[in-house]
Amino acid sequence: MTATEARASSPKTRVRRPARPAAPVWSRLRRGATPWLFLAPALLLFLYFKFIPMAQAVRMSFEEVRPFLGNTYVGGENYAEIAGSSDFGAAVWHTVVLAVATTAGSIVLGLALALLLEGQTRALWFVRSAIFLPVVTAMAVVAEVWRVMYYPAEGGALNSVLGVLGLGPSEFLNSPDSSLASIAFVGIWRGAPYDMMIFLAGLAGVDRVLYEASAVDGASRWRRIWHVTLPGLRPVFAILLTLAAIRGLRVFTEVFLLTNGGPDGSTEVLLTLTYKLGLERNELGVAAAGTVLLFLVLLVLTVVSRLRRREVR
Amino acid sequence: MSNQLRTPVRRRRLGALAAVVVAAAVTATGCSSGSSGQQQDESAPLEVWIRQDAGSPAAESAEALTKAFTEKSGIEAKLVAVGVNDFETKLQQRTAQKDLPDIVINDTGQLGNLVTQGLVREVDREGVAGSGDLADRAWEAAQGYDGKYYGVPFNSQAFAFLIRKDWREAVGAEVPSSWDELIQLAVTFTNEDPDGNGKNDTAGMVVPGGTTRGYLTWWFATMLWSEGGDFVRKDGDGFVAAVDDPASVKAVEKLQAMFCDSKVVQPGASTADSATTHTVFESGKGGIYLTGPYMLPRFDGSLGKEKYEVVAAPPGAGGEAAALAEGENVYLMAGSANEKGQQAFAEFAASPAGQKIGLGLDNGGIIVRLPVNTTVDGAAERKDPRWDVFQKVYDEHGRNAPALPNWATVRQISAEGLNGVVSECSRDVAGAMGELADEIDAELEKQGAAG
Repeated sequence: MTATEARASSPKTRVRRPARPAAPVWSRLRRGATPWLFLAPALLLFLYFKFIPMAQAVRMSFEEVRPFLGNTYVGGENYAEIAGSSDFGAAVWHTVVLAVATTAGSIVLGLALALLLEGQTRALWFVRSAIFLPVVTAMAVVAEVWRVMYYPAEGGALNSVLGVLGLGPSEFLNSPDSSLASIAFVGIWRGAPYDMMIFLAGLAGVDRVLYEASAVDGASRWRRIWHVTLPGLRPVFAILLTLAAIRGLRVFTEVFLLTNGGPDGSTEVLLTLTYKLGLERNELGVAAAGTVLLFLVLLVLTVVSRLRRREVR
Repeated sequence: MSNQLRTPVRRRRLGALAAVVVAAAVTATGCSSGSSGQQQDESAPLEVWIRQDAGSPAAESAEALTKAFTEKSGIEAKLVAVGVNDFETKLQQRTAQKDLPDIVINDTGQLGNLVTQGLVREVDREGVAGSGDLADRAWEAAQGYDGKYYGVPFNSQAFAFLIRKDWREAVGAEVPSSWDELIQLAVTFTNEDPDGNGKNDTAGMVVPGGTTRGYLTWWFATMLWSEGGDFVRKDGDGFVAAVDDPASVKAVEKLQAMFCDSKVVQPGASTADSATTHTVFESGKGGIYLTGPYMLPRFDGSLGKEKYEVVAAPPGAGGEAAALAEGENVYLMAGSANEKGQQAFAEFAASPAGQKIGLGLDNGGIIVRLPVNTTVDGAAERKDPRWDVFQKVYDEHGRNAPALPNWATVRQISAEGLNGVVSECSRDVAGAMGELADEIDAELEKQGAAG
């Protein structure tokens, strides 16, 4: 509405003003250029530190990279090598499992925390901040702390707790059977509070009247959550799932620091594999092919989720 | 660009911004500035990289070395201590800029990699002043797959066992004289509470069993060779995988048993890197640790000199003792503006004067562990007979990694294969080693080194 009003009122103002000097082309150009000029520094930085490197990675993925001697074009060989290797298949699988587990865990736990901690009192504010702390802690620190807690013998922090309960000691990161789950748990521990904050923002947007109405209709607490809260949070879920999918696929720091893909490659994810290929085995071309594949997957995911959101609207 | 690495942050940012703006104007030209046949200038300053953390005593020793070189030769040399962990990454970055440092002091294990990428110049062994004084074994570690030399030896080392003497005496055991006895001692250390604290919290053997930088291969090489096995063996003009030979399989079975049956390794061994294992040994949680002599000063400080002893790796089923020998070379990097200066630096570093500075007698910053120059007696200089054990191991039983075009890659692949066997106890060793051998053969083929 405001737009149409503005347009309707503009002829009037023009009539009232004295005639402007000519050369509207120049001024229109200038007006058109202004936002671009403001954006220029950021765009230039993006160009040089993001887009050109990205383009180079794509080029590298078709070459045998020997930076000093000069690269040689090898066609799709790098792609054939990475897609054909069993390591890559396993890494994709681990990445997906880790992404799904971390995302699902964080959302469920985040929602539960949000429902518990919704409200205005001062004590809640404090608890919420405390719970949020893992998110603001650097991942490198988090990983190191968890590595210590996961110490795989009786003296370890978590194993002491398990010991009290009559369980364990668990091998945690050190056994191929439990390593991926242990990493996912760290991811959930760190991701849930973030999701909680977004859920809290979403919960504030749910109409209170709906709760009261359903309560009057005799709906139980669970039915209220199921029929009022969750539908009200639908846009929040869409955002969280997209973010989590992207975040999940490019997981690196925690895996690199906790296990570096081991033991027995049981936690090798796409980016740790790429890192190893590129910087430990010096096969930069093959590593580039891996990242290009990851980029394509992320691109498809993003486009699909955007299209879906548009459809929903 | 190299200057930018060292300028203060703000200037660097401004510089980067300016560079972006300028570069934007010439986007189309890209960033190709292929340089071949660099103009020579005999007074051009040298940029020297060493794999040591900045500010560490070792970096100080390296600084002293470059200073002494400048005083002697009049050629300016600037030392850059590039961190231990991301050295290769930093070097890759400079490679991408086609602006390499003039000198790189780095592991012998990186030689193949550097040669394949064309980053180092060939060295004429006979043309190096004083080359006759340098140990043959050290020269061997500077030799590429093609038999040519691509570096000048600077530092060498061999691995030996550090054994908790107090523990050994507490359990009443002798110094082990074979691998089986050694493993038996580890079992005793694990089960008999040698520290007497009433808790079952000691591990016999401290092993960095992770795959980062191929640590497990690093550790296992000594054991494998002592047991008569090998990673690869000569075959005609090239190499062929040997990890599936009967002797190798037997050795790997023993390794697996240490992780799975007797459980003598420290908890978390299959993901541990050396930073972790150092701590395990010095905190009194482990009894036997295979490591290099450079750890002695640290453990003397943290654990106490009287608590442990240095023991040469004993012979195994192979009948002969063997120990991994390694070291560092001075690499003369490609594209330098002062090739004569590069050679002069390498010669100085390997000379008695350079080697003595590297011993780090004053400040404990050891960059020369065992001198490569046979006219320097390291143990006598240090007045510490324990260093002599390492020297003897190196001289008599030291064994360099095979001279493949790229050993680092094979080391990485085999570390992953071995890690699979020790972290999945149910895995059949012979089968797994067969698979690993196929992988190694494929890699050798790729490197053009298959027999």
